[in-house]
Amino acid sequence: MTATTITDTPRHRPLESRSAAAWLLLTPGSLFLILLFVVPIGYVLLLSFTEPKVSLDHFRRIFTTPLYTSVMINTFRTSLIVTLSCLLLGYPLAYVIARRNDAVSLIFLTLVGLSFWTGFLVRTYAWLVILGNRGPVAATFGVLGLEPPQLLFTSFSSTLGMVNILLPYMVFALLSVMKKIDPNHMRAAASLGAPPTAAFRTVFLPQSLPGVVNGSVLVFTVCLGFYVTPILLGTPRDMMISQLINQQIEELLAWGFAAALAVVLLAVTSFLMILYNRFVGLDRLWG
Amino acid sequence: MPLLFAIIATAFLIAPLFIVVPMSFSTSTSFAFPPEGYWLGYYRAYFASEDWLIPTANSIVIAFCAMMVTMLLVIPAAFGFVRHRFAGKAAINLLFLLPLAVPHVVAALGYYGLLSRLGIVGTIFGLIIAETALSMPVSFLVVCAALKGYDRNLERAAMSAGAGPLRTFFWVTLPVLRPGILVAALFAFLQTFNESVVALFIGGRDASTLPKKMFESIRLETDPVIAVVSTLLTGIVVLAFVVPVLFRRKPAYVV
Repeated sequence: MTATTITDTPRHRPLESRSAAAWLLLTPGSLFLILLFVVPIGYVLLLSFTEPKVSLDHFRRIFTTPLYTSVMINTFRTSLIVTLSCLLLGYPLAYVIARRNDAVSLIFLTLVGLSFWTGFLVRTYAWLVILGNRGPVAATFGVLGLEPPQLLFTSFSSTLGMVNILLPYMVFALLSVMKKIDPNHMRAAASLGAPPTAAFRTVFLPQSLPGVVNGSVLVFTVCLGFYVTPILLGTPRDMMISQLINQQIEELLAWGFAAALAVVLLAVTSFLMILYNRFVGLDRLWG
Repeated sequence: MPLLFAIIATAFLIAPLFIVVPMSFSTSTSFAFPPEGYWLGYYRAYFASEDWLIPTANSIVIAFCAMMVTMLLVIPAAFGFVRHRFAGKAAINLLFLLPLAVPHVVAALGYYGLLSRLGIVGTIFGLIIAETALSMPVSFLVVCAALKGYDRNLERAAMSAGAGPLRTFFWVTLPVLRPGILVAALFAFLQTFNESVVALFIGGRDASTLPKKMFESIRLETDPVIAVVSTLLTGIVVLAFVVPVLFRRKPAYVV
């Protein structure tokens, strides 16, 4: 075969390192993504300042109307709360799975996977039942003789639902880093006299931080644009940006304004991704 | 101490799945839990209702087709990407990961605009296109990871034993990569099967998928069949992921 660019053992490396071959292999997928992903996103950009007329009015409205700025702030605050909750719940879970290499860790891992693969809507529906006014939580309050609080259709229920859905992402992100931490480091710390908490704080925790960053960026960005759960479990009073987009389209058919909101959302997530890419590398995020 | 936290977190994760099963046998027409009585009526209703069966069939067809197209595009691309050095590699990497970085609402708006211009909004064909783009990144990452871990000496051995490049590819390379390719295909299928946002925007009445139908049913809060569908979906996931563990096979999500 032809292998003119290869110097060593040319007969054995027939398909290597010719960029013509690379492009032949990459063109169908690249073309597909450009025409059927990049172009639609470009269309949203176009729509945001041309519908109904060419102007930047939509953006001006988003950043000057108190209602819309409060939606932005609420979206950030909720995403932050969800991310921190996922970290708080996910870190010990991932720690246990990574440190114990036995049936217990396999059971935990299987249950996390089970939750991960059960669709968003199945779990969102279940929270509707659990938190509903005829559900088990309300019944518990009733037994105790207390007036059950309104749980459903509040920012509490939508936050809870999102934490439930995004927690597996956090656990997997943490695990992929924690699995690589050499258990001998912890043993070494112990044999040198470090108590378990000190060994954890000085040896394990610092090494697991890349996983914390990965998981947090992942959960935070997904949460910013979360659509289904806030709409089904949340309240129009504390809207997130996706609820606002949905409302603009469903109730007002304001495509231009909805597109402008989508562009703002896209700008924020892109900024986070660029920052992440700068310091870590984008392909590591889902590693 | 960490174990206690881990148990709490896991209980929180799987609590919804335990609610869904008894709800599916409930006689109640609303979302009351615990159920007042048990029967199989809503299972019968599901299997007799076109409103549910057609979206189910649509979801399966769309997920299968999107999976096939995804793999046809992603496998060659991964070979090109991993095995060659070329200018613009970083840009290609970004392009293939882009659908993961863009919120689905944004993509959904774009698809609605573009596909309605092409006259294929609300069609199964249109959904297959959109869902293919969304499932490409994860499949690409999985196939690339499999390729990076692949020992090319196997190919050299086959070649030096006299096999041609095609024969080497189909008899050596592909079988060795099969686990990675199967996992990538499974991810693509499940991603599409569970995807709801784009399906909500461009599914319309004629290409309604299961997540779209579930979304609408939850919103109207009148159709107890949703519990049956949720239970069936959970059951499928249990069969696919828990059963292999019981037989001591490595589960697929631990790639």
